Amino acid sequence: MPSWEEFRPFIVTGLALGGVYSLSGVGLVVLYRATGVLNLAFGAVGAMGALIAWELINNANWPDGLAYLVCVVFGGVVTLLYGLLFGPPLAGRDPLVKATATLGLALILLGAMSWIWSDKARSMILPTSNENFMVSDVLVNYTQVIGFAFGVVVTVVTAAFLRYTNLGTAMRALANDREITATLGVPVRRVEAAAWLGSGLLAGVAGLLLSNLVGLDANTLTFLVISSLAAALIARLQSLTVTLAAGIVVGLVNALITPILSISEYRDMTPFILAIIALLWLSRHREVRIGRAAG
Amino acid sequence: MVIVALLAFVLAALPSMLSTYWITVFTAVAIYAVVALGLNLLMGRVGLVSLGQIAVLALGAWVAAKLLFDTSLPFPVVILLSGLITMVLGTIVGLPALRLTGLYLALITLMMAGAITVVLAATDFPNGGPGFLAHSESSLGSGATIRRPAVAETDPAYFRYVVVTAALMFLVALWHVRSKAGRAWEAIRQSEPAALAAGVNITLYKLWAFALASFMTGVAGALLAGNVGQLFNYQFPTRDNIILLAVVLMGGIYSIWGALVAGLLFRYLPALLDTWGLPADLLTILFGVGVLQVLLTAPAGIVEQFPKDMARLGRLVARGAGRVVGGVRRA
Repeated sequence: MPSWEEFRPFIVTGLALGGVYSLSGVGLVVLYRATGVLNLAFGAVGAMGALIAWELINNANWPDGLAYLVCVVFGGVVTLLYGLLFGPPLAGRDPLVKATATLGLALILLGAMSWIWSDKARSMILPTSNENFMVSDVLVNYTQVIGFAFGVVVTVVTAAFLRYTNLGTAMRALANDREITATLGVPVRRVEAAAWLGSGLLAGVAGLLLSNLVGLDANTLTFLVISSLAAALIARLQSLTVTLAAGIVVGLVNALITPILSISEYRDMTPFILAIIALLWLSRHREVRIGRAAG
Repeated sequence: MVIVALLAFVLAALPSMLSTYWITVFTAVAIYAVVALGLNLLMGRVGLVSLGQIAVLALGAWVAAKLLFDTSLPFPVVILLSGLITMVLGTIVGLPALRLTGLYLALITLMMAGAITVVLAATDFPNGGPGFLAHSESSLGSGATIRRPAVAETDPAYFRYVVVTAALMFLVALWHVRSKAGRAWEAIRQSEPAALAAGVNITLYKLWAFALASFMTGVAGALLAGNVGQLFNYQFPTRDNIILLAVVLMGGIYSIWGALVAGLLFRYLPALLDTWGLPADLLTILFGVGVLQVLLTAPAGIVEQFPKDMARLGRLVARGAGRVVGGVRRA
C-alpha cells in the first residue's frame, strides 16, 4: 500500500480533473433541465474547439489568448447552432431520441476532426501550466488550480443564476413543463437558445482545460464526456451541488487509485463503476412510468 | 424468395468472383450484420437502445479466442459457447438495469461499455499465452493465430461458413419476431403500461431481448476471432459503438433486413471508399448526418425508404418517358 507522500500529488490532479468533470457535468445538467436534451456531443465540441485553438496558435500564429477565446466561442456557437436547428423539431420526442440525435452531431465532429487533424499526437500548453507553486512538497500548477476553481465557481454561479435571475427562473420553468411555460408567455425558444449557448461555452472551456490536464487527442477528449456524464448521472441530472460533489469524488478516486499498482490499470473504470452503482441504487424503487420520462 | 436466391448466389458464386481482400471485407460484412441484427432487434422490436454492443462483441471475441487457444473444442461448439457466455454476461448486466427508463438504460450500457473497454485494455486479448488471461507479451511477435474450423480454413471457405452462420442467426431472429416473444416485444414497444395491463411479463421479455442480442453478438465475436486471427484492442474502438448505432438506424430498425444494410454500411462502404482513395472519416460524418436525418424524417430507415424512393424515381422516369413517347408520337 503506497504511503501518504505518494498519494499527495494525486490529490492535486484528482481535484483538478474533478473540477473539470463538475464543470462539464453542470453544463450537461443545465441543458438537460432546460431542454430535455442530454448533449452527448459535449466532449466532441470541446475537443474540436481545442484543436482549432491549437491550429490557430501553431499554424496561424495567432496570440494564445485569442485562440483560447475562439475555442470557447466555437463551443458556444456550434452547440447553439445545433440547438436552433435540431432542438425544435425534436422537442416533443422522448429524451432518448434527443440524446441519440446529439450522437449524430458527435459523429460529424469526430469525422471532421479525424479528417482535418488526423490522429497525430499534439499538445497545447496553457501558459498557466508553466506557473506552479508548492503546497507542502507537492507541485501544483495554475491550470490545475483553474480546473478545480472553475468547477466550484461555475456550479455556484449557475445555481445562483438559475435561482435569482429571470432567465434562470424561466429555464427552471421550462424544465418543469415546456408547454405550460409557453402559455405563460415565456419566450421558450429564446430561453432554450440561451441554455444551448451557455452549455456550449462550458463545453469549450472544458475542452481547453482537459486538453491540458489530459491531452490533446480528439478521441480521448470526446469520450471523456462519459466521465462527466457519470457525475451528472449520480446527480440524477437534477442537482447542481451533487454534480459538483460527484465530479470531484470521481476525479479524486480515479487519481488516487493511480499509485495502487495492483489495480492501477483499472482506475479509468472509476467513473463508470460509480455511475452504474449510483444509477442502480437510485432506481431501486422505480416503477413503470406513464407518459414522458421526467428527469 | 429474393433472400433465398441472394443467399444461394452469395454462397456459390461470390467467393470465386472476388479477390482475397474483398472476401475478407464481405466476411466482415456478414459478421457485423449479425451484431447489427442484435441491436436492430433491441431497438426496433423492444425500443431499447444499447450504446455498448461493440464492447460486447469484444467480450465475445475474447471468450472465443480463450477457448480456441486453450481447448481443442470444435469451432461450432466454441461459437455456441461464446454466444452462451456472452448471453449470460449480457443478462447479468441487463437484469438490474431493466427498471430504468429508456435514456438511463442506454446510458448504463454506455457505462458498461466503458468499463469493459478499460478491462480489455488492461488484460488484452488471448494470444496463446499462459494463465487465465492467456495473453503473453512475448508471443505477440510469434504470430500465434486463432484457429479456424477444420472444414473452413481458407478465406473463401471461411466466408461461406460465416455466411451460413449469419443466415442461421437471421433465421433465429425471424422465428423470434413471429413468435410469442415477438408479439410481447411489439406490445412493450408500443406502450409499456398497456402491455403490463394486458399481462405481459415485461421484465422477462426485455431480458429475453437483451439475452438474444448478447447471444448473437457473442456468436459474431467468435466468427470475428476466426476471421482476423489476432485480436487487438484497436479493432474495437469506442467510436464504433456509436457508428454501429448510426448504421443500424440508417439501415432501418423496423425490418430485420435493415441489419444487412447496416453490415454493408459498416464494413463495405469504408473498404469501397478506401479503394477510391477517399478518407474513411467522410463516412463518419455521413453516418452522423444519417442519424440526424433518420431521427428527424425517416424512422424506418433505408430498408423502407429505399423502395419508396425507387418507386418514386420509377414513376418520375415513367412520366418522363411517357412524355417523350407522346411527343414523338405527335411529331
